[in-house]
This record gives sequence, C-alpha cells and structure tokens, in this order.
Amino acid sequence: MSETDRRVGVVTACAGANALDALVVPGRATPCRIAEDELLLICEPDLAREIAREVETRLTVVDGDALVRDTTDAWAAVAIDDAHAGRTFARLSRLPLPDRGFLQGEVAHVPAKVLVDGDGVLVLVPSALEDHVRSRVAAAGEDIP
Amino acid sequence: MGDDLRFEGTRVAVEAGDTVASALYRSGVRTFTRSLKYHRRRGPYCLTGDCPNCLVNVDGEPGVRACTTVASPGQVVRREAGWPSPDHDLLNVTDHLHPLMPVSFYSKTFIRPRSAWRWAERVIRRATGIGRLPMGRAPRLRPATTLHADVLVVGGGVAGLAAAAEAASDGRRVVVVDEGRLGEKPWDPVTIERIESLAASARAAGAEILERHTAVGLYEGPFVPVVGPDETLHVEAGRVIAATGAVEAHAVFPGNDLPGVFLARGAARLAGRHGVAPGRRAALVTTTDEGASTASVLRDAGMEVEAIEGSVVAAEGRRRVRAVVVDTVTGPRRIACDTLVLSLGWAPRDALLRMGTDDEVLGAGDVVIPGCSIEAAEESGRRAARGQTDPPVDAPIVPFASDGYVCLCEDVSLHDLERSWAEGWRSSEILKRYTTTTMGPCQGAVCGRLLASFAGARADAVATRGTRTTARPPARPLALEDLAAGVDEVIERRTSLHERHLELGGRPIHSGAWMRPSTFGDVREEIRSVRERVGLMDVGTLAKFLVAGRDAEELLDRILPTRVRGLAPGRSRYAIVLSEAGYVVDDGLIAALGDGRFFLCTTSGGAASMEAWLRDRIDRWALHAHLLDQTSELGAILVAGPTARSVLERLTEDDVSATTLPHMAHARITVAGVRCRALRVGFVGELGFELHHPRSRGPELYDALLEAGRTEGVQPFGLDALDVLRLEKGHIYLGQDTLPDDHPEKLGLSWAVDGDKEDFVGKHALERMFAIPPERKLVGLRIEGAPARGIPLSSGGRVVGRVTSAARSDAVGATVGLGWLRGNDGTFPTDLRAGDAVARVVPTPFYDPEGERLRV
Repeated sequence: MSETDRRVGVVTACAGANALDALVVPGRATPCRIAEDELLLICEPDLAREIAREVETRLTVVDGDALVRDTTDAWAAVAIDDAHAGRTFARLSRLPLPDRGFLQGEVAHVPAKVLVDGDGVLVLVPSALEDHVRSRVAAAGEDIP
Repeated sequence: MGDDLRFEGTRVAVEAGDTVASALYRSGVRTFTRSLKYHRRRGPYCLTGDCPNCLVNVDGEPGVRACTTVASPGQVVRREAGWPSPDHDLLNVTDHLHPLMPVSFYSKTFIRPRSAWRWAERVIRRATGIGRLPMGRAPRLRPATTLHADVLVVGGGVAGLAAAAEAASDGRRVVVVDEGRLGEKPWDPVTIERIESLAASARAAGAEILERHTAVGLYEGPFVPVVGPDETLHVEAGRVIAATGAVEAHAVFPGNDLPGVFLARGAARLAGRHGVAPGRRAALVTTTDEGASTASVLRDAGMEVEAIEGSVVAAEGRRRVRAVVVDTVTGPRRIACDTLVLSLGWAPRDALLRMGTDDEVLGAGDVVIPGCSIEAAEESGRRAARGQTDPPVDAPIVPFASDGYVCLCEDVSLHDLERSWAEGWRSSEILKRYTTTTMGPCQGAVCGRLLASFAGARADAVATRGTRTTARPPARPLALEDLAAGVDEVIERRTSLHERHLELGGRPIHSGAWMRPSTFGDVREEIRSVRERVGLMDVGTLAKFLVAGRDAEELLDRILPTRVRGLAPGRSRYAIVLSEAGYVVDDGLIAALGDGRFFLCTTSGGAASMEAWLRDRIDRWALHAHLLDQTSELGAILVAGPTARSVLERLTEDDVSATTLPHMAHARITVAGVRCRALRVGFVGELGFELHHPRSRGPELYDALLEAGRTEGVQPFGLDALDVLRLEKGHIYLGQDTLPDDHPEKLGLSWAVDGDKEDFVGKHALERMFAIPPERKLVGLRIEGAPARGIPLSSGGRVVGRVTSAARSDAVGATVGLGWLRGNDGTFPTDLRAGDAVARVVPTPFYDPEGERLRV
C-alpha cells in the first residue's frame, strides 16, 4: 500500500491573467496555475482562510473582479509517497511525472491536479471522487513491494 | 520444438523476427485465406498490413493480419475461410457463377417471397465472410487512458521520427505511435540505420515512442484513438503529424489476386528481413527506382528474377501464379514464373490526413511525397514539426487492364464496377455504397484511389463524381473489444453523506455518475413523511456554480431566458437553459447573492457540460466574469415537509420565518453550528429549505437534523420517493420526460421564458418555433390502471405518444403521469389509452395546484 491520507488546504484565485502573473504568492503556499485566469494555492489546511484573505487583498488591488475562496472542501488529496511512487503513478496515468513540479490531467480516469515534491506525489481530485481514486491508487500499488 | 507455433494440427518453426505470415510462408503455406464472395485463393500480397489477403485466426481471434503479427512459440494459428478447408474449398464454385451473382445480387434476389430471405440470409452468411466471431469467449477488459501531447506523430519511419526529434527538441511534449516495431518494415540497412539513429535522437529530446500502437482515426480536436497491445489510448493532441507512408500501387489485371502476386516491398521484406524467398522464379514488373534494389534482394534470397518494364496484361495460374503476360515496348511477352512482383508506384496511406483539417493534421514523408528518398522524408518530417507541410503529390494510377479485382476485401472486380456504372450508379460515393468497394478491412487503403480514378475517368461532366470517398475511422482494422475499452471502468461520485446513507439502510444506486440512495426501505413511508411531517434528502449532487465579476449579471442575463437583471439579492428564480436551437438542455435555480455575485444551481448530471457552456460564453463574449464550480465544495441537504421550519428553528438562531425567508428567497444562516446558504425551494411541493454547506460539515449537519427532527418523525428519503413527489407536482426530469428537441412550449415551460428580454441564447430559434403550433407536447395524465413508464399512448387505435413518468400517488388518490403526445395543428387527443388502461389528459400540478403548501 503506497497511498496515504494527507490533508491539504486549497485556495482558488480567479482573476485576470495580468493580476495572477503579478501576484506575490504567500510563502506558505505552493502555487499551481491551472488556467490563464485561475490559480490554485496549496497549503496547510489551517492556513487556507488566512491565505485566501491575503491573496484576495493583493489581487483586488490589480483586478477588482478577482474571486478568491478557500476551496479546501472541494478537493481530496491522495498522497503516493513511498519509494515506488513513480511506478504506482505510472499505472494510473500517462502523465509524465517530473522530478518536482505541478501538472494536471487524467489520473485513474478522472481529472486531477498532481504535485510532485521531495515527499512524493500528491494527487488532488474533486472530493466526490476521493473513494474512487483511493481505491485505484491502493490497487495500483498493491503488488509493488 | 518449444519454438514452434501450431498451425492446423502441424508445428511450424518460428525464427527470430518472424511474423505469423513469414513463419507460415517458410513452412510452405501459400493459401492464407479465401476471398469474401467467390472463395478465390488468397496469399500474402502487401505484407505491410494494408490488404486483406493474409487474415487468419490467431489464438482464437479472427481477422488477424498475419503479416504484421509477431509470431511467437505456442501460438495457435488457423485459417478460417473455405469449406471444408481453405485448401479444398467447394464454395469456390461461386467463382464460376459470376453471371448469377452480380454486384449487390443479394439485394436483388430472394426478396419474393419475403419469407425466402430468412433462409437465403442464413446460407449467404455461412458461405461468405472471412472469420467467425469467438462466441462465448470472455472479452478481455481493456483499459482506456487519456494522453495529452503537444504533437502526436503517427508513424515511426524516417519522416515521423525526424518530425518527433525536431518537435521534442523545442520542448514540446511529443508522442510517436507506430503500429509495428520501429524499423521492422524496411529491409535495406541504410533506412534501418537512419531510423535507429532518429529514434535515439527523438528519445533523447524527450519524445515518447510507443511501438505496436495503432492510430485508428482522427476526430475533431484533434482526438486520436490509439490501440495498443494492452490498452486503448485517447490521445488529445495539439497537432497531429501523419507520417503513415505509402503502400505500393495496386494494379488491376486478370489474376491480380492469385497467390504468388506480391507488391515489391512485401516480397523484399519477406526475402530481406525474414530470409524467405517468395518463390523460385520471379517476374518483376517495375516502373520505379526501387525495382532494382528489390531484384537484388530477391536474387540474394536465391530467386531467379527477370525485371521487366511494362504493364501487366494478366497473371495466369489456378492455385498460384504459373506465368505472366506483360505488355512491353517490344510487344506482349509471356513469362513462365511462380512469382509476380509489382513495383508500379505508390498510394499514400492518407486516411488520417483526409479525416482532419489542415489545422489539425499535417503530412510528412511518403504520405505527401510518395516514393521520396530518405533525405527528402527526413526534411519533410522536420518541416512538419515546424508547422509546414508539403502539398500532397497526386501519385499516378496504374492503368486498368481488361479486368481484375479492384477491391480485394469485398471481391469487387473491374467488370463489377463497369456493370454498376451502366446501371446508373455514377459517382465514387454511390459506387462505394452499391458495390461495397473500400468498405472492407483495408477501408480503401488499397482500392480507394482506384475507385475514384474509375469514376473520374467516366464522369467528366461532374468532376466531384470522381473524388475520393469520405475517409472515416477506423483507418486500420481493430477488434470490437478495442472499441469497448474502458467501458468496464465505473467511476462513482459520492457525496459526504454516503456512509451515513449506508448506516441508515439506504440502498445506493448509480444515478448518472453519482451513487445515491434509491430508498431507505419504505418508499410510501418516505413520501408520507414529506407530505405530512418532514423528510431529509441529500441533494449534494446538484451542480453548483458561483458566478462573479462585473459582467456576471450580463453573462447570466444573456444566457438565461429568465430575467436576471433586477433580481434582488436574497431572491432566486427558476431558470431553464436553452441551446442556440431553442431546446431545453438544463434547468435549475439562479440566486442573487449581492455584490454582483450569483449562485447557479442546476441538475446533478449536467455540471461538466454547464461549466463548459458558461466558460465558452465568457470567452466568446469577452466578459469580465469568473466562474467557480462548487459542486464538489458544497454539500446540500433538503429539509422538506410541513414541519421543516420547526426542525430548523431548533438548530438555528437565525430567522427562518416565512416573512424573512419566504418561498424562493435565500439567506446565510447557521444551522447546528454549520454556516449554510438556505434556499427556500419546492421541488417536492412542500415547505422546503435546501441547506448548502461546506462538504466536510455534511455528516454533522445531517446528524443534527435527524436528531432535531426525531419528535416530528423525520425520515430520510431517496430517489424513488422523490420521483413520486416531483411527479405529483408535475415537475419534469430532464432526459426522462424530455426529448433532445423539446423547446419550452412543448414542455409547458413557456412561463419560464421572458419574451420581453432583448436577447438570450436560443431566443431567435424560439421565436420561429413559437410561431407555429407544436407538433408534440408534454401533458399530465391520469391513468386508470397500474403505473408503467415507457408504454405507448394511443387514441383511436393509433399510437400518438408515450408515457415518460408514471406513479401511484396516495396524495392524489390515482395513478398520475407525464407523457408526450403528438398533435395536429395544435390539437391534441384527450381520450387515450396508456397500454391497456384508460388515460385522460389533465392539468398539472396534480397535487396542491395553487402551490399554497410551498408558501407557508
């Protein structure tokens, strides 16, 4: 079993591309640009509200229409963080896993955001799909020693 | 003997690099299959996977191309066509009955008496065909995976790999797919070496090369399904480069399908790669530069080769080629030989190119410059990677001789085409349909250009009559189980209350992509609880969107047929969503939140399409609006029933009275410590509060509501109860009660359209449709019998409609339903039969028609 529970906080920021380009991201968050006008900020769960407020303050200076929300509840995080994370992940997705960074695409047949860092692979999927992805990750890593 | 494959009771040695075809040919097998209609002998011809002449059954799978299938020890191979055997096929008698079996003869015969067709069809089906489906065999469940690429290169030859190396070196994500192994088709060392070198460069630059992966079509996107050995890939690419090469030109002359007739690259491959001489003495008829090298390879394999420039008049022989007549500059010559090798030009494998637009797919190499050199192919590939392409060269057609088979798959001869033309089928598209030319396993790869040439030469008055027929997937043969890849993958969406439902005895079912409880045990009791006390339902599956930004109001006002401008904060409104064609595609609720923000709540199954629809409009109209899909973020619980307010008041300090929170109003309230947006809605026809809350707080809110409602006899209810409750109110289920071309008037929803609005999506279409009476409409039904959905509605003995929903209603004391009726000039029958039961058209709602219970 290579799948573990890992709680993360997620903040979604929607704003014009220029505003997002110019945003100084709080150091406690990892930015993941998912579209020209949309940014996800991954952080510790307890920090999500605080970061959302901070980012909203910064963004609305540039873009009065900016929409920033703590969307932690929208996402389920499934971590694949053992030594064989890459092999397990490869059984679930054709996405090319970088050594470090963010990518998005299909994992276990559902849309996902994927973060790779020193700890392993973190797969973010809509909360409603959490059980599906957990079961697929567990099955994929089952026979990997 | 462990390295053998088994072939019809014998053992056939397999050597390194063998295909099934090369192994069988080495062992002396010459007849691989029998043709579809006339049961003519067929043997390897192209050896590139393009023709149907070597289809065999491998390990129980029919229709396998022996020439591209790797031979492996233990394989069980058998031929399928022919009775009693492919070598001694009595059904070959049909080859002598051509006059009795003209093209499309089965459409012209056995039609009277009609009962004769039943028997004729059975006989024809047994006598024709090139394999039998493996009935009873458990299908292999193949996964389907999506793969995104900046550039998809189809074809791993010189041009394709050069394109891949070039594109990948720019940092683009490049995927190369090839239906075989890289370098397995060429036989000359120079080409093989170049392929290996380019493959190494492409890989080093980051390209992913997938061997034994076949691209079977190109769809809008571009989207390319690719079938691999163990999976099907759905490739979504920014650009496709088709480097699919060319097949050698098929020539039409009597005897052109005899075993022993080879296309030159096929013969050279057999000799040069597999060390199997196609025969002892070959006549090599050539008009290309490759002829000399082919002759050399064949000689190296021990064959006696006579190379001739000219055109083939006929190939002679019964079981295989015995001689060939060639028209040369010095006159006709008859040459005794057992092999005829043709090197007469090229037919681009351009099916993928013709399926896409120039923006989607570019050609490289042989497919656009047939017969080009290695250097030219490489340069062509690099140009394609830079977005440039060579205009396709129209390779010349080999002139037809007196007769011969144009379509090898469907056994259509030149004589058949001429006869069809004389009958009046005078364009390539119509000839295709009438004769089935190009409709076999090769899908026109071999014969498509010949058909167009045939029609073009005769239809000089109408140029389009001689154009190539439309290219459609599949470009290459594929198994039915490849088409079904991924269908076994069930993805369940679950709300945060899923576990609670199970604990309470809920019976989960698939409702679209969601798992939802159908019932908690007693549907009638669940209905009664809502009508008489209070019920709870998990409606967290509803699609939910937050729309914000200075143009949010304009966006929604331009999209929805209801008026959004002027909707006061704290108020909500029912809304339908129309397509440009004026058809109802979704419905839901729009709630004004203040500060120019709106909450849009639509049906459970439509979240993804609604999000795409809204984003498309924001982009298209260049509006300053942001959209946040909150479907996963928010849960929702419906508290409905006459005592719903009492239950809520026990858990909140906020004012939820009818004065502060009337029907169709909404407010932020705190219930059991959970911040919610409470929407006063009434899909079930009772006082109702829809509590939208953070998903993670769902279980505690649900528990609190159950506990607080204990004294009122609160009851969770499921989809079965909801189906009856909404039907009693005459509310429709989109998809169940509607058809794809239903506009609001047909559904009785004209009231949801504000005709005074200047514009909204679908308005112009509605104005046209509203100008004439609808030919069909959805009506309320009272049925004197048991409820049944889907049964026909009849009037005066004629079927005039169908019941779309029906249920026994205790509240109404009757069976009620919805159904659509066809009318005439706006007049609709009222006295009906629903199946055997008497039915009457009645107004809806059936229950509480004034809506008084909603407004308390």
